[in-house]
Amino acid sequence: MNVESRKKALRYFFTRVVEPLGFKFTPDNELAEFLLEQEVKLEAKHGIPFCPCQPIRNDRARDMQIVCPCIPFHREHFDAMKRCWCGLFVHQDVTDPDSLPQLSAKDLGLGR
Amino acid sequence: MKVSMYTLSTCPWCMKTKKWFTEHKVPFDYVDYDLADETTQGRIVREMDQAGVSGFPFVKIGDQVVEGYQPKKFAQMLGIPA
Repeated sequence: MNVESRKKALRYFFTRVVEPLGFKFTPDNELAEFLLEQEVKLEAKHGIPFCPCQPIRNDRARDMQIVCPCIPFHREHFDAMKRCWCGLFVHQDVTDPDSLPQLSAKDLGLGR
Repeated sequence: MKVSMYTLSTCPWCMKTKKWFTEHKVPFDYVDYDLADETTQGRIVREMDQAGVSGFPFVKIGDQVVEGYQPKKFAQMLGIPA
């Protein structure tokens, strides 16, 4: 498997999924490239590009909720942060992703 | 105050968290969930569920928990400048 070509393919596929949800790739390209590389490695190991920042529990129902892009499963939480948990995607109006803190749903007063 | 954390080797925010505590000279223990054995992983997810935490990094400062890379909160809990 060529990591770079798979990263490019994931970028193409993910863009088509997240744009209708109001998200885009983070403008922090270094972060995006690192996260995509982790996802390619996770996909090579598990067959699925899981989120690099959430636990794979070996519980199919729970694990399907962390398949990238996992935005639909955490919509309220991610919309409140204007970013997804790992930061690969941000709201389309975000130009400074460093200004967006990683806050838990509990911190934001949201239910799970 | 004892600091420990559960992290992932694939997570850049976990790396930032470890770096923050190292730079602030706060000793800590950590376990990379994805590199741990199955028994340890089971223990960690049970602990996360009990704390209402679903993502990494999962940081424990004394008896308080923080989910995510939150340097201001780390500093506040430790009583040190951010």
